[in-house]
Amino acid sequence: MAETPNPAPAQSTVTLKIDGQSVTVPKGTNVLEAARSLGVSISFFCYHPGLSSPAVCRQCLVEVKGQPKPVPSCYTPCADNMDVLTQSEKALTVRQQMLEFTLVNHPVDCPICDKAGECTLQKLYVEWDSAHARMDYEKVHKPKKVDLGPTIVLDAERCILCTRCIRVCDEVAHDHQLEMSYRGDRETISVAPGKQLDNPYSLNTVDVCPVGALTAKDFRFQMRAWELMTTSSVCAGCATGCNDEIHHARGEIYRLVPRENQDVNKFWMCDDGRMTYHEIRQNRVAGARVQGETVPLDKALSFAADRIVALRGSSGSSGLLGVVANAQATNEDNYLLLKVASALGVDRVYLAGRPARPDCADDILRHADMNPNTAGARAIAQALMPGKAKGVPQLAADLEGGALKALWILGDHVDLDEEAQAALARLEVCIYQTPHQNFLSDKVNVLLPAAAWAEVDGTFTNAKGLVQRIRRAVEPPGEARPHRELIQLLGRKLGIALDYPNVRMLFKEMKQAVPEFAAAEYGRELPVVQLRFAGSRG
Amino acid sequence: METTFRKRTSKATVKVVPRPETLNKELMLGGIIQGLAVTMRHFFQNVAREKPEVTINYPEERLKYPLRNRGLHRLMHREDDSVRCVACMCCPTACPAHCITIVAEETGNGNEKRPAIFEIDELRCIVCGLCVEACPCDAIRMDTGEHMHVVDRRDDAILGKVDLMKRGISSTAVQGGEPNWQERVKTVPDPRFR
Ligand code: SF4
Ligand code: SF4
Ligand code: SF4
Ligand code: SF4
Ligand code: FES
Repeated sequence: MAETPNPAPAQSTVTLKIDGQSVTVPKGTNVLEAARSLGVSISFFCYHPGLSSPAVCRQCLVEVKGQPKPVPSCYTPCADNMDVLTQSEKALTVRQQMLEFTLVNHPVDCPICDKAGECTLQKLYVEWDSAHARMDYEKVHKPKKVDLGPTIVLDAERCILCTRCIRVCDEVAHDHQLEMSYRGDRETISVAPGKQLDNPYSLNTVDVCPVGALTAKDFRFQMRAWELMTTSSVCAGCATGCNDEIHHARGEIYRLVPRENQDVNKFWMCDDGRMTYHEIRQNRVAGARVQGETVPLDKALSFAADRIVALRGSSGSSGLLGVVANAQATNEDNYLLLKVASALGVDRVYLAGRPARPDCADDILRHADMNPNTAGARAIAQALMPGKAKGVPQLAADLEGGALKALWILGDHVDLDEEAQAALARLEVCIYQTPHQNFLSDKVNVLLPAAAWAEVDGTFTNAKGLVQRIRRAVEPPGEARPHRELIQLLGRKLGIALDYPNVRMLFKEMKQAVPEFAAAEYGRELPVVQLRFAGSRG
Repeated sequence: METTFRKRTSKATVKVVPRPETLNKELMLGGIIQGLAVTMRHFFQNVAREKPEVTINYPEERLKYPLRNRGLHRLMHREDDSVRCVACMCCPTACPAHCITIVAEETGNGNEKRPAIFEIDELRCIVCGLCVEACPCDAIRMDTGEHMHVVDRRDDAILGKVDLMKRGISSTAVQGGEPNWQERVKTVPDPRFR
């Protein structure tokens, strides 16, 4: 058989010149991304790094030497020896003309537009046009308030027909719910007659909309975008752990928006996850309670400690004490609880969390496990108390069987049935640290106010095993404190020396103790920034 | 529901500026002598003048304020007497004293947005007039000529939407400017207003 000569390896990079600077990029990269990698910004509306490029808005035109007409940089792949001019007279003129064209029928009602302050059109206009309109006849008017579905309102006048929202539905939610109707300057975004924009990822259309055409009913008119501060965090809605930004102002959370992470959620987030911020401030436990009476935190801790010490004196060293770690709490909280438990010689450890919802799961982002930290809590239990951690059914059985006299529960959710709850109410001492009031809070005799996820620093481990950082955005109410602080205080009263002035130290220790976390980094502190024209927010 | 959240409306904090302490300042003698000198100078100047003119008998006598005097705020009306403000929150953004609190709501009609709550803490207001400058709708004005009222409780100094609208009248300003404003503005003699 004749030797076939080895084919030369297909070249995988191309080298081109942008504004005189030479740049090498992987083959297939478009000119816009190549320019961005050089720090050259080209204006654009319809392009989105997470979606396909239809090149409909022409806001990204650049000049390529040797080509007669300007080309859309979002659609043109880089080629060897290309010579691109992004700032030439011709390129700037065509882009400015395109902007003027986009503004021909635009209502420019920025004062009442929810997007103002984070609007690409507004930004481009202010940055490099700022001219008076040359149009002197009545603009085309379209409906100002079209109800597209349960979550979204459309202002058809403000829409610049970039089709990003259509592509989000098609390519992210895999559900073709939006479509263009009519032609020319009457063209509008619409849903099919009798249908709604109601897919579980619908609010991503609001994020990608470069203008204020699509607004979320939940956020509409609540707060101006420029007043919002952003804190990077992770969604606590399910085990996927989508990276998000908490947008808050003056101690109140106003919305959650996705943050890019190519390994987890790319650019997206589900609608249910976005709404989880509401419950953070509902039904909160703001002060400690002992047997239903509100008492100072310190008193409640002393009461709990005294009871546990007495039990340990009367019924052996473990005192028939059990601890319940929770997949709703951070790695640090769970680690500290189990560390205290092993120091106390406790060998009954349970793992709780919210019940799974397989009906909510899909293969896009949403996970059936509604807890943000199941993997983390499991790994910690395995490392600190190998083989001892049991599930909630075992907890129920132990409660009903009387194998427990005392229980220390990390909130917020423990899925116990009526019978087990009744047994729980009969315990000698039951410490429940929780952010929220729920069916358990009346059954326990020591209720401790804990901070919710948006009020603490720490880490969550998602279903893929990625250890991700959450950050404190707002203050907890009343006397509420992070779980780890409550555990420290109670641990000290039980005679266990614990001294972790900050979470970073706790994380460092945990990293050494739990093999799964060996490679994890706590990450740096991020300054809280005020939201001004945030880049990827469209 | 057991919930207490700390309410914070202002982002303002107190800035403490250290002052150098000198013996002269500690004794305060220099200051007293300087102050007396000023008083005596004015005394003799006034005695020497035919008609003393520094003091008026307020409140029986009142000075006429200039037209651009900034008094208490008011909220202007539309033709149908609804509030002109569209709750754009440009004024609280511009306000250096953070004394304006607005909560927006849907109107349910063509105007889309209006304030559900509009409050100005007149005690905190520094009467700078930036809110009037910032308003794109001629919705807020400070041309009432009224002084801050005497109040017993701090809360009474917070004027709500009703108080502010009570002082308001219908505004005839045209949204977006009059049709040929670009032409007309060229005829204004003062170049600062073009
Ligand atoms: S979409 Fe942008 S430019 Fe248009 S009214 Fe809203 S903020 Fe202004
Ligand atoms: S609604 Fe927004 S995202 Fe959709 S086409 Fe219009 S401008 Fe683009
Ligand atoms: S006058 Fe100045 S301080 Fe007073 S409300 Fe207006 S902007 Fe604020
Ligand atoms: S600037 Fe004018 S329209 Fe806007 S909120 Fe203030 S008073 Fe209302
Ligand atoms: S961004 Fe390139 S054509 Fe729209």
